[in-house]
Amino acid sequence: MLLGLGLTLSALAQTSLRGQVVDAGTGEPIQGAKVLLGNQNIATTTNAAGEFQLLYLDAMDEEVIIEAEGYVGTIELVLLEDNQAVKMEAVKLQQDIAKQTQDEILLNLTEEEMNDDEGRSQAQASASSATVDVFNSTTSFAWSTARYRNRGYNSTAETYYIEGLPFNSAERGQFNYSAMGGLNDASRYKEVLNPMEATSFSFGGLGQATNYMMGASRFAQGWKVGAAGTNRNYKARINATYASGTLSNGWSFIGQLAYRFSPYVDQKGIIGEGIKYYSLGYFFSAEKQWQNGNRLRLITFGAPTERGQNGAVTQEVYDLTGSIYYNPYWGYQNGKVRNSRIVKAYDPTAIAAFDLKIDEQQKMKFAVGYHYSMYSNSALNYFNAPDPRPDYYRNLPSAMWDGQIANPYNETSAAQMYRPDGSPYGYGLFIGQDMNGTYLGAAQTAADGNLVGPSVDINQYNALVNLWQNRDNKTTQIDWESLYAANYANNANDPNASARYFIERRHNDIQEVSAVVNYQNTKFDHLKMTAGLEGRFSQGIHYKTVEDLLGGNQWIDIDAFADRDIKELATNSGFTQEDIKLIRQNETRDGYELNKKDGDRFGYDYRINMGNLKAWFQNEWTFHEVDLYYALQLNFNSMQRTTNMLNGRAWYLTKIADEKMAADATRYYGANAYAQIKAAEAAGTLQAGTTYAGDAHYFLDPAFKLGLTYKINGRNRLKVNALAQTNAPYARDAYISQRVHDRVVENIYRHDQAKSLADFYAASEKVAAADLTYEFNYPIVRGRVTGFFTQTWNGTELNGYYDDEARTFVNQALSGIDKRYMGVEAAVSVKLGTYFTLTGAASVGDYRYTSDAQSVTSAENGMPMTQDQGTQELVFETQDRVLLKGVKLSTGPQANASLKLGFFHPKMWFADITVSYHDWNYLSVAPSRRMQGLYTGTRTDGTAVNGWFGDKNANAIETTDGQLLRVSMDADGNPVYENAVLDENGVPVLKYPYNLMTMQENLAATNPLNRFIIDASVGKLIYLKNRQSVSINLSVTNLTNNTHFKTGGYQQARLPRAVQQGEKDYQNSLITANAWKYPSKYYYAWGANFFLTVTYKF
Amino acid sequence: MKTIKYSLYFVLSAFVLFAFTACEPKELTEDDIFVQESELDAMLQEENPEGQYTIYELEDFLDRFMTEKGNYASDTCPYRDRSYDATHDLYLYSVDTIPTNGPGIYIRGRITTDDYAGNFYKSMVIQRVVGGKQQNLRISVDLGSSHGLYQMGQEILIRCNGLAVGRYANQPQLCVPSYNNNIYAMNASQKVGWCPGRIQGSIFRRVTKMIGTPDRSKIQYDTLTLATLYTEIKRIPNADATDMAALRKMDGRLVVLKDVHFNGKYDDNGTITNCVVGHPDSVGGANVFAPSTQNIGYPQSRYLQDQGTGTIMCSNSEYAKFAYYYLPGADKTGIANCVNFEGTVTGILGWYLDKASTLASNKLTGTEWSVTPRGIPGFGIPDIQMYFQGDTDSPWVPKEYDPNDK
Repeated sequence: MLLGLGLTLSALAQTSLRGQVVDAGTGEPIQGAKVLLGNQNIATTTNAAGEFQLLYLDAMDEEVIIEAEGYVGTIELVLLEDNQAVKMEAVKLQQDIAKQTQDEILLNLTEEEMNDDEGRSQAQASASSATVDVFNSTTSFAWSTARYRNRGYNSTAETYYIEGLPFNSAERGQFNYSAMGGLNDASRYKEVLNPMEATSFSFGGLGQATNYMMGASRFAQGWKVGAAGTNRNYKARINATYASGTLSNGWSFIGQLAYRFSPYVDQKGIIGEGIKYYSLGYFFSAEKQWQNGNRLRLITFGAPTERGQNGAVTQEVYDLTGSIYYNPYWGYQNGKVRNSRIVKAYDPTAIAAFDLKIDEQQKMKFAVGYHYSMYSNSALNYFNAPDPRPDYYRNLPSAMWDGQIANPYNETSAAQMYRPDGSPYGYGLFIGQDMNGTYLGAAQTAADGNLVGPSVDINQYNALVNLWQNRDNKTTQIDWESLYAANYANNANDPNASARYFIERRHNDIQEVSAVVNYQNTKFDHLKMTAGLEGRFSQGIHYKTVEDLLGGNQWIDIDAFADRDIKELATNSGFTQEDIKLIRQNETRDGYELNKKDGDRFGYDYRINMGNLKAWFQNEWTFHEVDLYYALQLNFNSMQRTTNMLNGRAWYLTKIADEKMAADATRYYGANAYAQIKAAEAAGTLQAGTTYAGDAHYFLDPAFKLGLTYKINGRNRLKVNALAQTNAPYARDAYISQRVHDRVVENIYRHDQAKSLADFYAASEKVAAADLTYEFNYPIVRGRVTGFFTQTWNGTELNGYYDDEARTFVNQALSGIDKRYMGVEAAVSVKLGTYFTLTGAASVGDYRYTSDAQSVTSAENGMPMTQDQGTQELVFETQDRVLLKGVKLSTGPQANASLKLGFFHPKMWFADITVSYHDWNYLSVAPSRRMQGLYTGTRTDGTAVNGWFGDKNANAIETTDGQLLRVSMDADGNPVYENAVLDENGVPVLKYPYNLMTMQENLAATNPLNRFIIDASVGKLIYLKNRQSVSINLSVTNLTNNTHFKTGGYQQARLPRAVQQGEKDYQNSLITANAWKYPSKYYYAWGANFFLTVTYKF
Repeated sequence: MKTIKYSLYFVLSAFVLFAFTACEPKELTEDDIFVQESELDAMLQEENPEGQYTIYELEDFLDRFMTEKGNYASDTCPYRDRSYDATHDLYLYSVDTIPTNGPGIYIRGRITTDDYAGNFYKSMVIQRVVGGKQQNLRISVDLGSSHGLYQMGQEILIRCNGLAVGRYANQPQLCVPSYNNNIYAMNASQKVGWCPGRIQGSIFRRVTKMIGTPDRSKIQYDTLTLATLYTEIKRIPNADATDMAALRKMDGRLVVLKDVHFNGKYDDNGTITNCVVGHPDSVGGANVFAPSTQNIGYPQSRYLQDQGTGTIMCSNSEYAKFAYYYLPGADKTGIANCVNFEGTVTGILGWYLDKASTLASNKLTGTEWSVTPRGIPGFGIPDIQMYFQGDTDSPWVPKEYDPNDK
């Protein structure tokens, strides 16, 4: 059936097909559209003129499937006759305005999730969506609300390129979405490739690979102006784009401006509470095309943005305020909303790319780019004053439970409270009798609905509950007045004193220069050879500035933690007061001005220089029944920290390291990490203002991947891909406390000193992955099923937290982390008559840790962590095993399914509704709560843990015989959990409520109905005279306003502890039964929210 | 040309919209924050139903609201076990709740303490000078580093409705009822029960207003010798309720003791004993201000002596930043040189009695009183000023215990 396509046939020596793909509204050619012959499984893409050509075809009835980014795909039927060149009429594609809106929402969503410069942000949704792949095109938007991540990989597994230049951060591994905030045209054209598949612009990797293409020639000539309204963090957007089209001289230009803003700041209980927002994005691109096929593109873009942040809080806070939108970061100042956490981001980027067409079979691409990513966020800092956070645990009603929760099994004199039916309280086990047996009364129903024990003063409890429930400004928000009051009072008492409160700005900039060369050769039959070279130099620039002294006269730049721990430092280390004076200083060198005013740098000022060179090649073989590719990459990385400030704690740790290494050279202790200080000391040049460079570290990592496609027939194919690679650690995971000193994690030290291959790769993560896909493509139904399996070994991770046992802020380096990702993803799309399409997608996975991890923990201010019980020597680093084996990865829901009904009417009406279900979404566990020593009483390094789950006053480990659990070690140092009830991973089971402290919660809502999210959109495209058009689209996310959907969360690292009086141990705290003292914090999906866009093209 | 025109339109409209973006709040000034004396009455009239309120002087407040037994005790709200002296019908621990509703009940006073050095923790003392005499009251507040917000010299006004007043170890204080269930405490079963607890930080901030900016010069210090002090601290060989009520009001007084020195002695469970050289982590009698109590947390005492035989305890916390500093004159050789460092010690007068048995057995001697300095030179308020043999050119320079210096 030819359907009157007006085919032109001509007699040639071969069967071929050519045609053109154009925009239905404007008639402009569409570049990059994918054209696929359904029966023969041969594909190509359109050139700048929208043209395509397919040669050496088999004669048959053929379905031509045409898809393009931002357009509704179509299928045309043609008859290919033997030895005839068939020319199709221009294929007109309709713009998919719903997809365009969704892409913009996605980009905005991912930008907002970059919430924290310390890595504590919820799992990011992926902003890339491929139209062509049924699974990705269905799930990328619909599942973004639930923070679904492809195959459970974190965001560093996905690689992002712009014009072939790498744009993932060299330091943190992630892509910075705010660089393109609001620039929907700049980010419109992209290639998105599934994990491990052959790519033409890079080696790719474990996750999806995306390459944004910003050449001006891709854009149709004319104006496009638009406006959007939403109830999300920003409220409105206006944008304007002008594209020149390709001029007669071969040049084409495009410019876009997009302004997103909030004309007001939402207040309590509304999406965007306390968030101000404005961002002005620009994008300019010029492209020159020569007749010989060469092209030059010059591109620049950026989006200066200022936006407020919000933060995760505990369930108690959500319940008290009755809102999932509660934001602890803001308060009223002179009647206006002021947010303490304001992100400022601006990422000006310039790119020059040149495509060289050597001949018909050989192409080269060159690109160079520079960008300076300015990213900073503000935060309150304070010294010698109360914690200003409204949601600080002491400010919550539950703080009054502390000390009132009974140890249920060993506290014999304090009986627990029960309900009348004999079941324990829902909220803990309050004491009902005192330890002398006196009955304290009945449980009390408090104003928050909780049953609380009789030993909680209900009047005070309710008074605080009422303040929270009524959203009292001074209680539930930042009390700016108090902060100013503290500073003004301070000025009155001592004008030269340090401000008690101030706002600091933490700068995490990065500047990068990158260059790539890409060579493609199709000279040989069946073979496409690609080779590439990527070079990049990156410099992470980290420092703090004083943003606002809040009425204070100055900030005196002394380390608060060291100052607080002066007594410990002196008595346990024997340091003199002169030593301690040095330790408190963030800059030890002479000539440093301690008094800081607004705008001054303070605290730390260091850089991480990173070099990266990748060389790769790829061969793609195409045969009638089989396609095959393989690729190899060598990846060279270097990193080196330089600092403009020599921190006193670094100096202190140098002394410790020297002493310890002298005593035991087999341990690391970071002896080589302070070369800068030693050199400076030796040279007598400890002068402020000089930059010191630490040791450089070099890594060489290979990667290999291959893939095979077996074409069962034209409509069915099997694909298998496999990947093996090693990955050097990112700089953010390399340095134990990079703000303070130069010390790397021990595995990098091993790597640096390597004399064997095993040691050389001691710091690298090893990855092996494979997937198997069955793909089918029929006129009515198409889709795929993929099974995947990925194993990683020897990962590293860094955590920092306040440790209640050591009673100071500690850094914890984890190594030897193994993870497994396996699962199935599937999607099928069925055409239902002329107007409707039904698409189903599902992904079920199992993403988990498959090993325990090794941890090294040390205090940031250099305090000893504990004392060896035998030798009485102070221990500055503790080593232990972290019981992670079997714990699920917290990278979004692991079970997902959705059904989407799409509607498209030829009169340009679009509509769709999607129902999605998500489950198996797991809390991020705190390694500090799963240390082996907490279960055994002894760390793997032999030091005793003060206060462990089976300690004599806790007895929290379930035993088969009800006896007090003591754990011994076998000859290899592994614990022997005698009589303990073990879970499936061999970890002792803790008794309620202790188990609440360690168990990994499934975040899926209790009511299964609340695990569903429904999205819908409707749009209309109206063509006007003179190739003008107006499009309107309304997208509503979470249509049913489901406010019970948790997207993520994390355990707090702190454990509830009480001090054991009268014991002479170095530290003597014990874990108490108050599992609610430092509960987990959660993120919720927004309730119903909309995005309305109107675009006028002329 | 059209392109330029449309571009200009866009930029113009962007600027117009920019004007509608949320504007920044203006900076708060002192006038926005601190209440002036002249505004007080109008403010309290507005704050209270029918404009009814009373600002009590501190002693009047105690007389009006603090009873001997407290109104919080009942069969199901037992006070701590060892707090009642049946012989004299006296309670060392008590809690009286203050009506939540009705006319406003206020107290005001100037803060005389500072917590930087660590001798005061989650507590403060306010002072009111009435007829030239100090009145003082402790306030127990659950705010870490509370003095960062409520600084020494700051006058505050507190709405007491819904709070409580009581005695903790016989020391009157503004508080809330709190149940002590510290099973990890030494002699825990003797300490279990209701007692004055800390006012939750948010609630305290909610009920407190700052009157003017801090003015330390308005704090009254009573400078006196130990002998004079003792004439005021009546010895009570037989405690009775009347004497007790009067003496309790002495608690919290800010005094400057003249012509005193540390005599190198401490109270070792009732026996006055010479301090020794030793690591303060493990030697309770070490010649420093406050060796470790192994986290039991009771204040450590080192005796001050006048030029005669009069003595008083100088009370310090093991958590103070200067806890492991040698007493003036003490060093690694011992305490022989202590007598040579004489001068003044400023601090808060306190009467910490936590065992009813002390009262019951009529063992009170008056020496239970102590003075707690707010800091030493180099650590907060320099309340200990001593000089070698009275030579003001040879001041005492604090020195920390050094385990390596033997």
